[in-house]
Amino acid sequence: MKWLMNLWQTLNKPAKYLTLGSISLTAFVMGIIFWGGFNTALEATNTEEFCISCHSMESKPYQELQQTVHWSNHSGVRATCPDCHVPHNWGRKIARKMEASSDVWGWVFNTVNTSEKFEDKRLEMASREWARFERDDSLACKNCHNYDSMKWESMSKLAQKQMKRAAEKDQSCVDCHKGIAHTLPDMGTARAPQLIAEVGTGPSKFTNEQYYFSALTKPLFFSAKGDVEAGTLNVATKVKILESKENRVKVSISGWRKQIGAGRVIYFDFGINMLTAQLSKEAAKTEGVINGFEEKEDEMTGLKWQRVETTLWTDAEYLITEQQPLWDYARTTFRSSCSVCHTQPDEAHFDANTWPGMFQGMIAFVNMDQDTQALVQKYLQQHSSTFVKKEH
Amino acid sequence: MTTKQIDQEESKKRKRKELKALGFIIVVLFPMLSVFAVGGYGLIIWLMQIFGGVTPH
Repeated sequence: MKWLMNLWQTLNKPAKYLTLGSISLTAFVMGIIFWGGFNTALEATNTEEFCISCHSMESKPYQELQQTVHWSNHSGVRATCPDCHVPHNWGRKIARKMEASSDVWGWVFNTVNTSEKFEDKRLEMASREWARFERDDSLACKNCHNYDSMKWESMSKLAQKQMKRAAEKDQSCVDCHKGIAHTLPDMGTARAPQLIAEVGTGPSKFTNEQYYFSALTKPLFFSAKGDVEAGTLNVATKVKILESKENRVKVSISGWRKQIGAGRVIYFDFGINMLTAQLSKEAAKTEGVINGFEEKEDEMTGLKWQRVETTLWTDAEYLITEQQPLWDYARTTFRSSCSVCHTQPDEAHFDANTWPGMFQGMIAFVNMDQDTQALVQKYLQQHSSTFVKKEH
Repeated sequence: MTTKQIDQEESKKRKRKELKALGFIIVVLFPMLSVFAVGGYGLIIWLMQIFGGVTPH
């Protein structure tokens, strides 16, 4: 503490022996040295050598890049890691450098040091990178690729149409061009990590006779212990918990089924093709699994429908107490995914039985995992003209 | 020691103190403050990006 007091006393008085000239000169020179050094350090962390000095970056993303046009092409220009992954604007660059502290964390604790760990985290990491590109309007791409410099004539008719529309909106490139420099994460089989991050995995204890909602498409089982699957419970479906046993809960699912075949598909309501659960043939035939009630005939199709209640077991996870967070996530996903190519229609523009066809026809154009697909489709049906009175 | 010698000794001490203080400020304190300031600026932008309407994908 004493040296600090001494220092303060010296600093607080005009210099007696050092001249103003020598002080300002040293300050000036040190300023130059410091700023030069700072920028050199900043540049050094902005080189590809620095990026791939980590094994996890060298072994996966760098190797994958070498298979793409961004590594080698007829014009001999190539993109290095920082060209795409570090914003070029100074403020954002500094922010990205601070953000990289979490990369250091990952490096210290070996978060992605093996191929398996890397693949497990690939979707999460890719999603983060896509979010960053979207936030920056793909500025990193646009440092080289410019809508104004595109030669429309040398594009195919379809490419022209898509590109011109994107140019009009100055759209972010990765909206469509995902997985062009590194391998695309497995979107089809992943269990919607972003959705779960948003809505949570649900409570650890359940109250009997209370209603819960499935946050993912879940397997159904015959018993509390066995591995024999009895079917699947659709996402965002309301179930009543009857009983909890270790890692399973007994749920009651109500809905309607068509009186055709084994009648193993349960729908949300009479005459509405909104999936609630799909049972296996075996389950549908097993006594006591499905309890049938009153029947009604659908005049449109001539099909007989029957109100049913099903009791089966499912894992005690991904059952959440509220449905609204699921709809919120679905709405955001619907709005952002569909508006990439066209103005998305109003949810209440179609009815509940029209939406699946419309939605399935478009799904090939976007990257959506199966759980999210099912959720968005259900969201659209639940908010369609069937349930929402349009204000006209 | 004569008074003159004491004075000389004092001024030498003082001069060393001033040099030390200058060195400390210029080599340690100000560079550190600058790095903190720039880092803090980056952190603020980052936090703003996290909380300020950044749509997750």
